[in-house]
Amino acid sequence: MTRSDIGIVVIIYATCLLFLTMTLKLKAAAQVYPLCLIGGLALLNTLYLGTRLWRLFGGRAAQDVPGDAKGPGARPALVNDLPEIFANFVPGQFLFIVIASVAYLALMHFVGFYPAGLVYMLAVMRRLRVPPLHMGVTLAVLGALIYAVFTLFLKVPLPRGILFG
Amino acid sequence: MDTLALMGTGFLQALSPLNLALMAAATAVGVTIGCLPGLSAAMGVALLLPVTFGMDPATGLIILGGIYCGAIFGGSISAILIHTPGTPASAATAIEGYQLTLRGQAAKALTVACFASFCGGLLSCISLYFFSPPLAQLAMKFKSPEYFWLSLFGLTIIAGVSSKSMLKGLMSGVLGLLISTVGMDPMEGVPRFMFGQSTLYNGVNVTCALIGLFSMSQVLILAEKRIQARPAAAKFKDRFGLSRAEVKKISPTIVRSWIIGNIVGILPGAGASIACFIGYNEARRFSKTKQEFGKGSIEGVAGSEAANNAVTGGSLIPMLTLGIPGESVTAVLMGGLIIHGLQPGPELFTTYAGMTYTFFAGFVLVQFFMLGIGMLGCKGFAHIARLSDAILIPSIFLLCVVGSYAIHNNVVEVAIMLIFGGIGYLVRKFDMNATAIVLGLILGPIGERGLRRSLMLSDGDPSILFSTPLCWALIALCVVGLLSPLLMNRMERKLREKHGA
Repeated sequence: MTRSDIGIVVIIYATCLLFLTMTLKLKAAAQVYPLCLIGGLALLNTLYLGTRLWRLFGGRAAQDVPGDAKGPGARPALVNDLPEIFANFVPGQFLFIVIASVAYLALMHFVGFYPAGLVYMLAVMRRLRVPPLHMGVTLAVLGALIYAVFTLFLKVPLPRGILFG
Repeated sequence: MDTLALMGTGFLQALSPLNLALMAAATAVGVTIGCLPGLSAAMGVALLLPVTFGMDPATGLIILGGIYCGAIFGGSISAILIHTPGTPASAATAIEGYQLTLRGQAAKALTVACFASFCGGLLSCISLYFFSPPLAQLAMKFKSPEYFWLSLFGLTIIAGVSSKSMLKGLMSGVLGLLISTVGMDPMEGVPRFMFGQSTLYNGVNVTCALIGLFSMSQVLILAEKRIQARPAAAKFKDRFGLSRAEVKKISPTIVRSWIIGNIVGILPGAGASIACFIGYNEARRFSKTKQEFGKGSIEGVAGSEAANNAVTGGSLIPMLTLGIPGESVTAVLMGGLIIHGLQPGPELFTTYAGMTYTFFAGFVLVQFFMLGIGMLGCKGFAHIARLSDAILIPSIFLLCVVGSYAIHNNVVEVAIMLIFGGIGYLVRKFDMNATAIVLGLILGPIGERGLRRSLMLSDGDPSILFSTPLCWALIALCVVGLLSPLLMNRMERKLREKHGA
């Protein structure tokens, strides 16, 4: 059994609980189908938890799972697989890109799609150390592509923002 | 109108200048996406779905088909030149292709890959033309109980697309089914799980979910890793082209791989990544020059590439006729059909036969564009394959935002796309399955309607679900659907271990 298994089981049970709470507020006839699905999901999750616990306390865990306690008399142990799942994870870079993406959406609300996109692209590419020439070419190509396809061809009224709208 | 006339009309419509220009562009985009390691065919098709909104459905589908075929072939370029398969479908190509590159025969390897992909794709169209109409006729006999079992059969595919744990795959699928209940109840007319958002009245928009699960999640996956320069592509020391003797040598392999790819494509849960290994393995088994394998065999490249491209036509058959997408790209393509207001099934071969045969004809023509663009643009694509993730991350994100916004010009759908992007990221990190969620999302409403209509017709008596021989045939298929992926996974694992890929 691994730490990620615990995370998965908890998230799925939480999802079941959330949908169950909302389902019970529906009228009786409309409850049946969602309840079947919630029941099915909870059952599968319980089965999954059961198989993981079986591996933890049953005979197979000590031999099969890398990182588990090994050897005669070894106590079953919970494996921390998060370092393996997030190997090569660069927190600073990841957080910067996520925050920049959220900030971009907020900025789009005020200044519109194209100016916000320009600022976002420049900020992210600068943080990721893209050479200036490549940045220029990317901005020109992507800008032209989006303008041609979405503004000219599909005629999508892209957000113009509160300031320019 | 008989089939031949429909085929002819289809070709006439597909040959319009606009369609031809869009086919060329879509194939080039597909090859570009395919040759970039880390980007998949499903991601490319999902990202470009919104571009087809304003188009005629046939043209839109031709574009998506062009991206699909181009991406499957494109994966072989980086596999051959930098020993990094652009898509999992080219994993087997890397084995022999890169060895040829090391021997200074990169151009020959690319020519073989291009020619074999063309032949595999073109021959798969034959199956598309001849197997789809009879299967669609069978689907005409389906009523509500059969549709319930059909959607359940589709959902058994979830077991096939699960990567490691079948339970995780099934959980992902049921999660998709649960998400598909968001919106108005189809029978009772009451709103369900809408969180006060009127945008969710018609349910979660499949395109938003697709863009989020396949494209936005890829942005997050790329964003978490340190940006590293890709290895330089090998220089071309030889000439493009094949001698008559070489064509004669690889022809039996191509035909064999075509048959393999078609069967694998039609089978639920199997896809191009499995077909390429089976094709490669069979090429090796039947080869008269086995000693060349592992040192750079053109038969090995042809076997893998013809098989993975033959999957494209084969995998469209169950999707178009029965509404069952067998793997991730066809699930995304099915989303494309739904966006254009078309429901996969018999209607595509009756009411919308003109559109369907135009798409088929376009699919045939796309193979020729793939051959031309592949041969002429190999050197250019070799440079594109080195494009840094630092450029891809913000560019794909911007396309995800504009694509999801363009659906209904609504920022709420951008938010939904981002939520699905987060879900897709977690699903991939924790080895759940994004394709299974999509299958649940697409097949959920069909299954729910089938089940609830059946029970309504029988006053709640569930025996109606077992009342016809077709129901029992579909139940048997559900069992096969659950078991066949287990065998397929085992076969793929064995082949990968055998060839060390």
